Amino acid sequence: MRKQVFIEALVVAALGLFFALAANGLSPRGLRLSRNYFPEPGMAPAAASSVRTSPSATGTTATTAAALPNRTTERLQQRGLQLVTSNQVVELFRDPRREQGLVVFIDARDDQHYAAGHIPGAWQFHHYHAEKYLPTVLPICLTALQVVVYCSGGECEDSEFAAIMLRDTGVPREALFVYPGGMNEWKANGLPVEAGARGSGEAPKPNP
Amino acid sequence: MTTDAPVPLPRRAPVPDLAVVLARWLLGALFIYMGTNKALHPVEFLKLVRQYDLFHDPFFLNCVASMLPWFEIFCGLLLLLGVAVRGTAVMVVAMLVPFTVVVLLHARALQVTGGLPFCAIKFDCGCGAGEVFICRKLAENILLTVVASALIFWRRHRFCLRIGLWKTPLTTIGHEPTRMDAGIS
Repeated sequence: MRKQVFIEALVVAALGLFFALAANGLSPRGLRLSRNYFPEPGMAPAAASSVRTSPSATGTTATTAAALPNRTTERLQQRGLQLVTSNQVVELFRDPRREQGLVVFIDARDDQHYAAGHIPGAWQFHHYHAEKYLPTVLPICLTALQVVVYCSGGECEDSEFAAIMLRDTGVPREALFVYPGGMNEWKANGLPVEAGARGSGEAPKPNP
Repeated sequence: MTTDAPVPLPRRAPVPDLAVVLARWLLGALFIYMGTNKALHPVEFLKLVRQYDLFHDPFFLNCVASMLPWFEIFCGLLLLLGVAVRGTAVMVVAMLVPFTVVVLLHARALQVTGGLPFCAIKFDCGCGAGEVFICRKLAENILLTVVASALIFWRRHRFCLRIGLWKTPLTTIGHEPTRMDAGIS
């Protein structure tokens, strides 16, 4: 009997794996098994020797990278990414070149979070479903002088992986910046937020 | 000398049998619920699996994150319907035990980092129910493992479409289980 149950368990396992494989393949939200969703610095071009802050084109007197948690700055450094601080991101947001598409904001969060509220005019690029967003976002990033990528902030790493993917697909590393404070910091600073689709001008719904 | 005629088992009180049915349905429903929560948000689950730092190869990480939720749903459905109950229960135990160990180890690491009392550790373990306190999670998992183990060893399963995959006929309420139904050879 024990052997019978054991064999039955193996059959259940085999059928279950087949079911799971098929379901993942058919699901529009399914993951691609062969893709690396978390590219690490080894695969990226030579990492910068130090974390650089935004170019002084904006004339910002920003807080330094040292103000950010060490872990975040170290991680960015390892991944060869540049960061922008809270003050710098505000300067970039108010930069008139943003209206001309030369300064671009990229929201690396999923549909639900993007629709709930994003930096006005930001393009969505949820890199886990790059095939959906990249055809739109890549040409915009390639023509921009400065691309600021953000996600929720805190422990969120999606902005970094999205930036690495943009870099790997041809966006110049000098143009790419990660805003580690993310949407949480942006909202906490009382800066404008747009809900719904890009350019909708909708105000986010107040929290219950 | 053996006979082909099924030999009826002695009658037992139906209450334990019904309790086992209820436990099986609850376990199945829970697995479907937890699996669905993860299958609907595979990216979130992928990030949660990554936090355990178990797989360094993206392929294996993706396999676990994409297939585990659907596998749980599959097992949940089998338990609800009463198909291959014992084999499915073995698989459920085979999932629960390593989950519990991994969650425990991660909680220990968080405890060391944060310097908090063990039971004050709260995090999203990727179990499909959001953030939970570790002690509660461990208690839940132990209970579920006990229930699944009971399903493996319990001999009279009722309301099952097909208890075993091989030779067991339909067993429903009102059907008197035989030694063959009960898997006794």
